[in-house]
Amino acid sequence: MFNGFSHSVKGASHDKSGLVCQDSSSHKVTDRYAIAVVADGHGSKKHFRSDKGSKFAVEATIEAIDTYFEDYDQLVSNFPSNHKLIIRNIQKQAIFNWNQKVNAHLKENPVTDEEKSKFTPEEFEAIPPESYYGTTLIAGIAAKDFTFGIQIGDGSLVAIFDDGEAIMPMEYNEAAPANVTASMCNSNAASMFSGFYVENKKLIAMYASTDGLYTSFGSERDFLDYHTIITSQLANIENFKTVIINNLTKRSHFGTEDDISLSCVFDTDIIDTKMDLIVSKVEENKKRAAARKAELLTKKIDNFE
Amino acid sequence: MSNENMTEPVVNENQNVSGLDDFEPASAPENTAPAADSLLDFDDDPLSATGVSRKSLVIFFLIDTSGSMKGKKMGELNTVMEELIPEIRRVGEADTEVKVAVLTFSTEVRWMYSTPIAIEDFEWARLRASGVTSMGAAFKELSLRMSRNSYLNSPSLSFAPVIFLMTDGYPSDDYKEGLKELQSNSWYKFGLKAALGIGEEANDDVLAEFTGSKDTVVHAYSGTQLAQMIKIIAVTSAQIGSKSMTLSDDSGHEIGEEDVFSAKQKLLGQQIQELVSNKVEENDVPFDTGW
Repeated sequence: MFNGFSHSVKGASHDKSGLVCQDSSSHKVTDRYAIAVVADGHGSKKHFRSDKGSKFAVEATIEAIDTYFEDYDQLVSNFPSNHKLIIRNIQKQAIFNWNQKVNAHLKENPVTDEEKSKFTPEEFEAIPPESYYGTTLIAGIAAKDFTFGIQIGDGSLVAIFDDGEAIMPMEYNEAAPANVTASMCNSNAASMFSGFYVENKKLIAMYASTDGLYTSFGSERDFLDYHTIITSQLANIENFKTVIINNLTKRSHFGTEDDISLSCVFDTDIIDTKMDLIVSKVEENKKRAAARKAELLTKKIDNFE
Repeated sequence: MSNENMTEPVVNENQNVSGLDDFEPASAPENTAPAADSLLDFDDDPLSATGVSRKSLVIFFLIDTSGSMKGKKMGELNTVMEELIPEIRRVGEADTEVKVAVLTFSTEVRWMYSTPIAIEDFEWARLRASGVTSMGAAFKELSLRMSRNSYLNSPSLSFAPVIFLMTDGYPSDDYKEGLKELQSNSWYKFGLKAALGIGEEANDDVLAEFTGSKDTVVHAYSGTQLAQMIKIIAVTSAQIGSKSMTLSDDSGHEIGEEDVFSAKQKLLGQQIQELVSNKVEENDVPFDTGW
C-alpha cells in the first residue's frame, strides 16, 4: 500500500523581498500507483506569475499521469517494452496540460497595468506570455512493478530501493553559473526533459525536491543520508511530519534562503519488512560521515616547523 | 477503489517559525559543527544529523613557495596567514560560509588540504620555500580543480570563487599556457581575481594578466606592507565575493549575470586601490634591501 506526504516552505529571502512562495508541491496515492511532484517557479522579473506556474505544473503532471494510468492493465503490459516512448509522451502531455492551464488563467486574468509597469513597452512585448509562468518540474512515479520519473530544470529526485541505498536516478541538473535553467515555458521544453525508468526493483521510498533543499547541504552525501533518515521514520509518518516541516523551515531559514519543497511517496508494506535494513544504513551513514569529516581535515602539507 | 490523497500545494505564508527554537542554530553547518559527536546526535531530531549549510564561498590562495621567498618573506607570510583566518571568519559570520583552499607552487604544485575547508575548521600549515616558480603549472592545477566535479562540488556553493595570487618573482615555466587554460574555466571568468607582488622582482604585468586589471594588483615591498596588503585583499574580496547582488540595475531593469560579476570585479579594484592608498608606510624596511 502506498502512502505519501508533501510540503512547501517559503524561503527567507522571499520573506525579506515580499515575494510569495514560488514553489508548489503535491502527492497522490492510489492503490496502484503513487506520485510525488514538486515545481519551482523561477521568480525573477519576467516570470512574474511563476508562483501560479509552479502550481499549474504540479497539477498538470498529476493529470497527465492519471490519464496514462486510466487503462492500468494496458499501461503495465506496455511499459517495460515501450517505457522511453511512454515517458516521452507523459512529458509532452504534462507540457500540454500546463500550457492549457496557463492560457486559461491568462484569459481570465489579463496582465494588469501594475504588472506591465515594471517593463518598457518594448521589453514587455518581447516576453512570450508563457514565460510569465516559468517553472521547473520534477516528479517521481511508483507503480507495483516499475518506477519512473520526469524532470525539467533544477531539482532532485532520490529513490531508495530494497537494497536500502539512497540514489539519485536522474543526474542532478543544476545550471552552471552561465547556463540557462530549463523550464516548462521554453518553446522546446519537450526536448529539455530528462527521465528515468527502473523495473523489477522494489521501491521503498521516493522523494522529489526543489533545489532549495539540495543547496542547504554541504555535500551530496549528506543530502542522500538525509533521505535515508527520513525513510527510517516513515513507519511513523503522521508524527514525523512535523519534524520534517520544521527541518525544511530551518533549512530554508538558515541555508540558502530559497523556497524548499519536498514530496515523498513510499510503500508501507516494504517499509515494514525493510526497517531493520534502513536503520542499519542510518547507523552506517553516521560512521561514514564522521570518517569523511576526519579525512577532510587532514592536512596534505605538514607544518615544516 | 482508489485511495486518492491529492494535496493542494502548500504556501508557507503561515508557517510558525517558533518551531525553529527546537533546532541547533545556523552556525552548525556541515564541516563546521562544534564536534562530530554533537553533529551526529540522533536523540532529539534525527534530521539534525545532516547539518544545514549556509550559502558558501570558496577563497583560493595561490602562494609562491619558490626559493626566493625563503627567509623573511615566507616567515611574514606564514604569520599573516595565521592571523588572517579569524578576520576572514568574521566576514562569513553573517550569512555566508567561507571555505578556503590553498595551492602552493614552487618546483611542484601542492594543495594544503584535499578539498576547500570551512574557515572555522581551517588551520594554517606553515610553509617553507624552495625550488623554482611553476606558476603555469599552478594555473593548470587550479583550472582542473575549479569544477563541480572537484573542489567546487558543494551543493551550497552560491558565489563565484575569490582567487588570490601571491608571488615574488617571474614565472619559471610557460605561465601563458597555464593561464590560457585557466581563462577557459567559467569559474575563473566569473570569479574575483586579485594579486599581490612581493618585493622588487615580482612582475605586475604578469599579475595583471592573471587578474585582468591593474586595479586588482598591489605590491608589497616590506613585511608591514605584506601583512597589510594580504589582509586588505583577502578581507575585501571575501566581503565583495559573498555579497548577493541583484540582477537588476537602479531602474529595475534586469541585467545579465556577466554584468554582475564584472561589477563585482570593478568594485574590488576600486576598494583595493582606495584602501591601499591609505596604507603607505614610508619608513618601513624593504624586503630587497634591509631583509
